[in-house]
Amino acid sequence: MEAIRHLSRPGPTAIWLLLLALTGLTYAAGELHLTGPPWVFGVLAIVLVKGRLIAWHYMELARVAPLWRAVLGGWLVAVGGLIAAAFLLSEV
Amino acid sequence: METATRTDSLTLRRHPPGDLAMWVFILAELLVFGIFFAAYAFARSAHPELFDRYQANLDRTGGLVNTLLLITGSYFAVRAVAAIRKGATAACQRWMVAALTAGAAFLVVKGGELVGHYSEGVRLSSNTFYMFYLSLTVFHYMHVIMGMVILAAVAAKARAGAYSVDEHTGVETGAAYWHMVDLVWLILFPLVYVMR
Repeated sequence: MEAIRHLSRPGPTAIWLLLLALTGLTYAAGELHLTGPPWVFGVLAIVLVKGRLIAWHYMELARVAPLWRAVLGGWLVAVGGLIAAAFLLSEV
Repeated sequence: METATRTDSLTLRRHPPGDLAMWVFILAELLVFGIFFAAYAFARSAHPELFDRYQANLDRTGGLVNTLLLITGSYFAVRAVAAIRKGATAACQRWMVAALTAGAAFLVVKGGELVGHYSEGVRLSSNTFYMFYLSLTVFHYMHVIMGMVILAAVAAKARAGAYSVDEHTGVETGAAYWHMVDLVWLILFPLVYVMR
C-alpha cells in the first residue's frame, strides 16, 4: 500500500526529470517543423501536463483546499483553450 | 488506501505554502500573462505567415536551455523548502543559491539573445511579431530579475539563521514566486518559439 502511495506521489526529483523530458519533446516538435492543429494540440497537451506538475507538486496545490487547484487548473485550461482556438482560427 | 485518503483530506491546508498576500500577487500576475498569451495567439491568427517567418529567426536552442534552467531552478527551490522543513538551514541556503545561479544563467542566455536581436536592428516597431516577442520576453525577464531579488533576500536571511523548522514562511513565499516565473515560461517557450 505504501508503494502504491509512493507511485501516486512522485518525488521532486522524478518530477524534475519528467519536466526535462517533456521539454525535450516540445523542442523536438519545433526542430522537426511539425505544423498543423494535431501538433499544436500535442504541444499544448504537454504544456498542460507540465503546468499541472509544477502547480500540483512544486507549488504544493495537491495538498491545499480544492478551490486553489480549481483556480490554477482553470487558468491553465483557459489559457491553453484560448491559444488552441486562436491557432484553429488561423487555419480557417 | 481508504485510510490514507481520509488522512490526506484531513491534512489539506487552507492555502498554499507561503504568504497569502504573495499568492494573491501570483494570481494577478498569472492573469496578466494569460491575457498577454491570448493576445499573442489571436494576433498571430491574423498574420500567421508573418509570425511563422520571424519565429524562424529565434534561437530555439537558447529557449530550450532557458527552459531547462528555469525548471532546474524550480527544483532547487523545492529542495530549499524541503531542507528548511527539516531544520537544515545551511542546506536551505545552498539550494537557494543554486536556484539563484540557474536564474543568473537564464539572464545571461536570454540577455545574449536579446542583444543579438538588437544588433540586427530588431525593435518593438519592426513588426507585430517582434512587438509581441520583445514585450513578452522582456516582461518575463523582469520577473526573473524580481524573483532573483526575492531568492537572494531569502538566502541572506537563511544564512543569518532567520528561518527554522517552525518558521520558514519566507522560504516558501520566495519559492512560490519562483515557481510562478517558471510556470509562465513553460507556456511562453512553446507558444513563441515552437508552435506554428
